Amino acid sequence: MDTRKEKFPYGIPGHNLSEIEREIPIEEPPVWPVNDKLKIIGKRVTRIDALDKVTGKAKFTSDMKLPGMLYAKMLRSNVPHATITSIDISKAESLAGVHAIHLIENAQKEGEENKSGKYPMVKYVGQPLGGIAAESLEIAKDALKLIKVNYEKKPFVIDIEAAMEIGAPIVFDVPITQQQDGGDVGETHDGSKGQGNVRGPSTSSFFGGPRGDLAKGFEEADVVVEKTYRTQVQTHMPLETHGVVVDWNSDVMMVYASTQNTAGVRNEMASVFNLPKSKVRVFCDFMGGGFGAKHSAGSFGPMAANLAKKSGRPVWLMMDRKEEHHSEGNRPNSIQYLKIGAKKDGTLTGIQQRSHGTAGVGLGAGVGRIAQVLYPCPNFATEQYDVLTNAGPGAAWRAPGNVQGAFGLEQAIDELAEKLNMDPLTYRDHIDKSEVRKVERQRGAKLFDWSRRKPAGSGKGTVKKGLGVGQSTWPRFVTLDSSVEVKIHNDGGVEIRSSVQDIGTGTKTILAQVVAEELGLQVNDITVNIGDTFFPVGPGSGGSVVTGSITPPARNATFEAKTALLKLVAKKWEKDSSALFMEDGMIGHKNDASLKMSFKEATKLMRTSQISKTASRSDDYGGFQQPWGLAFGDLGSVQFAEVSVNTDTGFVKVDKIVAAHSCGRPLNLGQLESQINGGVIQGLSYALYENRVMDNATGHMMNANVDQYKVPFSMEIPEIETLIVEEYSALSSTDAYGIGEPANIATAAAIANAVYNAIGVRIYEIPITPSSILKALNKVS
Amino acid sequence: MNKFSWYEAKSVEDALEQVSSTVSEELYQQTNNASVFKSGGIDLFDWVKEGLLQPEKIVNIRNIPGLDKISYDEKKGLSIGSNVTLAEIASNPEIKNNYLALHQAVNHAATPQLRNISTLGGNIAQRNRCWYFRSADHDCYRKGGDRCFARHSENGENENHAIIDNGSCVSIHASSISTALMAFNATVVIVNNEGKKKNVSMDEFFVTAAKDIAMENILQAKELITEIIIPAPGKNTKSAYIKQVARESYDWSLGDVAVVFEVSGNNTCRSASIVLGAAAPIPFRSMEAQKAIEDKLITNENALAAAKAAMSIARPLAKNGYKVPLFVATIKQAILEIS
Amino acid sequence: MEDKNKKSGAKPGNGISRRSFIRGAGLSTAGSVLLTTNAFALNNKEPLTAENEFGPDAMTIKMKVNGITKSLSVEPRTTLASALRDHLELTGTKVVCDRGSCSACTVYLDGKPVNSCMLSVFDVGDKEVTTIEGIAKNGELHPVQQAFIEHDASQCGYCTPGMVMSCVHLVDNNSDPNLEDVKNATRGNLCRCGTHPHVFKATMDASKKMI
Repeated sequence: MDTRKEKFPYGIPGHNLSEIEREIPIEEPPVWPVNDKLKIIGKRVTRIDALDKVTGKAKFTSDMKLPGMLYAKMLRSNVPHATITSIDISKAESLAGVHAIHLIENAQKEGEENKSGKYPMVKYVGQPLGGIAAESLEIAKDALKLIKVNYEKKPFVIDIEAAMEIGAPIVFDVPITQQQDGGDVGETHDGSKGQGNVRGPSTSSFFGGPRGDLAKGFEEADVVVEKTYRTQVQTHMPLETHGVVVDWNSDVMMVYASTQNTAGVRNEMASVFNLPKSKVRVFCDFMGGGFGAKHSAGSFGPMAANLAKKSGRPVWLMMDRKEEHHSEGNRPNSIQYLKIGAKKDGTLTGIQQRSHGTAGVGLGAGVGRIAQVLYPCPNFATEQYDVLTNAGPGAAWRAPGNVQGAFGLEQAIDELAEKLNMDPLTYRDHIDKSEVRKVERQRGAKLFDWSRRKPAGSGKGTVKKGLGVGQSTWPRFVTLDSSVEVKIHNDGGVEIRSSVQDIGTGTKTILAQVVAEELGLQVNDITVNIGDTFFPVGPGSGGSVVTGSITPPARNATFEAKTALLKLVAKKWEKDSSALFMEDGMIGHKNDASLKMSFKEATKLMRTSQISKTASRSDDYGGFQQPWGLAFGDLGSVQFAEVSVNTDTGFVKVDKIVAAHSCGRPLNLGQLESQINGGVIQGLSYALYENRVMDNATGHMMNANVDQYKVPFSMEIPEIETLIVEEYSALSSTDAYGIGEPANIATAAAIANAVYNAIGVRIYEIPITPSSILKALNKVS
Repeated sequence: MNKFSWYEAKSVEDALEQVSSTVSEELYQQTNNASVFKSGGIDLFDWVKEGLLQPEKIVNIRNIPGLDKISYDEKKGLSIGSNVTLAEIASNPEIKNNYLALHQAVNHAATPQLRNISTLGGNIAQRNRCWYFRSADHDCYRKGGDRCFARHSENGENENHAIIDNGSCVSIHASSISTALMAFNATVVIVNNEGKKKNVSMDEFFVTAAKDIAMENILQAKELITEIIIPAPGKNTKSAYIKQVARESYDWSLGDVAVVFEVSGNNTCRSASIVLGAAAPIPFRSMEAQKAIEDKLITNENALAAAKAAMSIARPLAKNGYKVPLFVATIKQAILEIS
Repeated sequence: MEDKNKKSGAKPGNGISRRSFIRGAGLSTAGSVLLTTNAFALNNKEPLTAENEFGPDAMTIKMKVNGITKSLSVEPRTTLASALRDHLELTGTKVVCDRGSCSACTVYLDGKPVNSCMLSVFDVGDKEVTTIEGIAKNGELHPVQQAFIEHDASQCGYCTPGMVMSCVHLVDNNSDPNLEDVKNATRGNLCRCGTHPHVFKATMDASKKMI
């Protein structure tokens, strides 16, 4: 391969910025300097779709209305464990306005008898059983009421600890693999190992397995912390629920989806219906939040398609709020045992972790890799178990597993620091080898004024203030199957296309920024057409991969198109194209100021209507940490929390958060702030309010609404200060990464540590409610 | 929602002619062919959307003339029409100046949008928010079923439920505004289809679960609330209202307290009216706290003693023990805010 | 005395007046009427007739939305939110919780913010409905909308219409709101993406620009 050598900015500006030489493929674009020197990258650029959002023009999947469209509703079980003996749809079928009914039946395998009979066994309240399509949503709901399902109930178990007991009702008596929504739910295990409802353990991740010798490590320890931490089940509650509109009237199945992964949904639907990929088109222009739960076509995707086929009409199928809560995914809970040992100088000698979590009828209730990789420690082992219960399946939820894991580890580290008589921030300086987190601690502590921190519980008065800190790390995942097409049109217009979707993070805008920067144009000059699988396949919006995966190909394709256009201008000017540049909408010559042409004029030189270049994600400069797409480095963060706790009423208020983050080369400051705000607010919500309340006696979620499933509203929002640390790693043509998940990991831990600092009593279980505080203060008899 | 017809009532008599049962009766019996009243509709539509109520006809009383006035007179006191919205109450300066606890209670209720729709009559007549009661999948006592799901000591999710009067139903009354109204000794004016008018004190308006499992108030099918009256405050009347919540923005009460005292010159409580919200299936007048503070100096010590007296009869469930210290702190604070 | 016919929108000889409603088999063929509230007022001494009862089947009613009177065929169980979204294709108003808990469905009734998912379309009467689509006048954005764009106050955008409605109402009625006022005005607005800090900044900024 032809290569060239280039010098790239490397390190953290204001700290250790230097240069590094990389040998890169010859066709890669020129080196980008640090953001200071760029015009559009790293600035505050307003979102290109903001106008549609503030005027109500933005059309989400739930807003779609196609000619002849029917409205559908799913039929779901309302018992937690049962065999279905019969389903009578006769009354529903004959209701005026009902066009199609589809029931989910067991796939018949030749020569095999299905244990549960015609219909799949019911394993949780809310399990999909079928669907109805009718003229209106009201008629579909009327019809649902007329369906009679006969159940033969079976024993069931809801509570995780009850499910772990010998003799507990068995949820699955066969080995299982991850069934429902994919995504990285935690550490996905092989569900064949284990006993009863307990499956696993998972003992390794892509960062490896156990290290060293734990027994020896603890022998060497002068201080040991040994505690159990608990976290709750959290549902995603996106404002727009899951759902699709399927139009299958031609031989192309058109799917409008509220999704984080248009290509993933396309592939799934094609597979389910045995269609070539080219005959399924998935479209997502605006979507109302996913947070990890919307990666797949779910059960509603195929259901809508089946109803569309049966009725011959387009079908709208969106979940209602109740369905969204109990069936469309959740962050599993956790019971985490941690034992950490250190020498009296603070050096870590051993980290042992054992966790149990339930993802309902799914797998993947792990606690991530925080304990494994956040702080170097020679002796480490983890055992992460899944516990099956008769409840809705888990799904990826913004930094799956790792949010739970950070809550446990970061509190344990604080406890260790206290035993060592060290300030928790100073202790982290001691054990944390990450350069970027070092800078984040320094700059963050200053902005937060960490020096205000007083000894735990020392405040006078009823309302006690506390300060706390929490840290996190997140891998730089790269999805290699990430492509874009860039077109320069011969009217001066520029367009970028990909199937990648914008889930509210601002993907549309950063793509426009990258293209504009490269061509010397304005963001408004660029048309961004994404969220359509007729375009080159882009990454799913998960793992915080999009920015790092799609912006290098976006730049590379733009560079290729630019090169082609410059060649035409060079030919006209009879000059070498390597001496031409694009800036401020013009094309010029480095050594001849008289040669100037507008970008638009230049496009008139084109022989065809468009110059079209497609690029896919190339390898990282200097290679990957792991070849499937794990880049070197990580996305570290440090978050500081200030809380006020009323020791009479247990009321906790988060007054302020300082969130220090790194995402490589920042692209859009306003959007990054928004992402960090969002992660922090969700982390705060997880720490103080959210909890899926299951009724153990009947298997129902009792707060499947917005009223009693609590998340913060305006008065709960603290002052949030964001601090972005630029870090150049010289790994790709944009060197930019995402921030979605990193923003959410450390917050609950920081708040829990702050609560300890306020009241002098540590809380080992979230959510931290007034009841938790009053119990911790021994005020509840 | 199920299909229903809509009747636009033109007068109280007209409205009363149309209804056949109360919402409470319907929730208990589930005949699915009833005609029921709708004022603001916030509570009603929740029942209908959950499928627990499938009325045949909704009688809209929201536009009946004459039920939407607020009038205050120094001697006669305050009259609030049953169709007055919570927003109108919240922004009324005379209520703020003379009935502070009521003003505070209304300002803490719901959201700005809901306050523009909800009416006072609907608010005090609303049913409780126990999640089993509000679930179509759980047939509890209040819906003609054979059990209380919340009370089960091992399995019941009763963290939001009652600590007092929780022998049968353990729900808590949902109207935190009623806490303040009862503390002000409000009277509910009820008119029936024979044109008869009766004044019922708030204390008598609410019905305990022990008395009638199907009702939370005494309204019968052919009766309509037309007005709520509060006596004029005395020269020395002072009030306070505190609502504890997990979220300040808007939340159901974890425990709220309304205190209305006649205070003498030397800061002695001459007469005490202390009502607890979110403690019992009805807004609960704490006779224990009232007795403990009456004729006493309002001090830290005496306030605390009254608060503890209030909680001496509390019998918390498995998950709501926190309400006891919460109420002790809140009752004490409310009493002290008076002085 | 107001001309009741004018108020009801039923002009003599043009369309069907209230008097000619037919009761019984639903009123779907009875033509258009503007449901009035005040027309049932004190001075209406007419005997009670079937004109007060509507549905349960669909019938055509008129409703004034964003300054334009619209005709639509709805049942009493049709919520105002559904009427706007499904019948009038004004999809800016969103249904998120369908229980009045999240304010995503906020519209104005005679200028007052209400939850349209908890109102029947028959609750509207002759009040004027304003939706998010009616906030920008003649293509000119309200200062709050402009500020939302400048301060990145939208992420996924689903809560944005409700937020804008709450914030516009605040700044249009309070010339100098502080942060507490902005938080109070939006205390019923659910947002899962965490736009709140930027919403607050945008609204404070917009109100300063409006002085």
